[in-house]
Amino acid sequence: MIPFEEIYERYAPQIYRVCLGYTNDPAQAQDLVQETFISVWKGLSGFRQEAQLGTWIFRIATNHCLRALEVDKRMPKAELPFDLAQTVEVSQETKLQLLYQFIAELEETERIIISLELEGLPQADMAAIVGLTHGNIRIRVHRIKEKLTKKFKAHGQFE
Amino acid sequence: MDNLNDLRSLWHTANTDRLPGAGEMLRLVKGFRSQKLRNKWLIIVASIVLAGIMVFAMLLGHFELVATYLGGSLMAVACLLLAITNIRSLKRFYQLEDCSNLEFVAFIEKTRQNQQRYYQKTMRAIMLLLAIGWLLYLYEPARAHGGWLYVLYGGILLYLAIMWFYVRPRNFKRNAQKLDQIQAKLEKITEQLK
Repeated sequence: MIPFEEIYERYAPQIYRVCLGYTNDPAQAQDLVQETFISVWKGLSGFRQEAQLGTWIFRIATNHCLRALEVDKRMPKAELPFDLAQTVEVSQETKLQLLYQFIAELEETERIIISLELEGLPQADMAAIVGLTHGNIRIRVHRIKEKLTKKFKAHGQFE
Repeated sequence: MDNLNDLRSLWHTANTDRLPGAGEMLRLVKGFRSQKLRNKWLIIVASIVLAGIMVFAMLLGHFELVATYLGGSLMAVACLLLAITNIRSLKRFYQLEDCSNLEFVAFIEKTRQNQQRYYQKTMRAIMLLLAIGWLLYLYEPARAHGGWLYVLYGGILLYLAIMWFYVRPRNFKRNAQKLDQIQAKLEKITEQLK
């Protein structure tokens, strides 16, 4: 059994980015990370390795995102998060803020799918997390990328 | 940016320094106690204890009127019904973890339906049983001793009327609005997963 601290160190940044992709709100994303790891802590002793550990944790995290059903009230779709990527150059930060804004404009499940895709999860794992077929996930990723491309182009970000 | 492949590297530049360290998170999760679950456990324990007290009183008390026994039994049944409803709801909480988003949304929808049924039927039945049981149970001492017990009996009648005709409809309306909002959101997400 992997110690909790090790699991947290490995997955917390990934879970935070996925939750941030869903909420576009750093404070709420942090709350969701905490809720996720409370569930991980409670379920770790009963975790039977039927799913991969990462898939299991991402399932918990994305379900917590979906459970935050009142999330739209708090989601600042028009405003950009101000405290992201403080250490990178300004233009990079602006691009990152644009990316989060464009993701926030997508539908709930699209936000989850593109966040998992950008996090680098295999599409088979994404299918197991979301509950759709592998083929369906592939098509949706393609469509979401097209949507994002259009949005970036509209803001003069792509050639 | 030349293409979407750059998005992945951009995505990973998000600052995660604000996350608490592993030690701090371990302290947080160990100290976490769900308020909602604690309240449910309190309701379950209190209901079972109250039902037990009522049964005990029925067995040991020497009452003249059948109405008193009937009232006590109704209150005990109401308490047990409340405990059972909360135990079933707790079970759903604990069963929740390892499921896909699709299964999770279905689970939330089922929970919403149960909540709706609770507010529309179960809660009404529990309150009705408790109210009738209370009035029947207290009738005998009020009749026997009169005086301030009549006043108490009147007060209870007034309290039940306020609960039944004002508090309950107001709570129901508030919860129904909340549940309707959740349903609309769930329908939207379910549609996305088709």
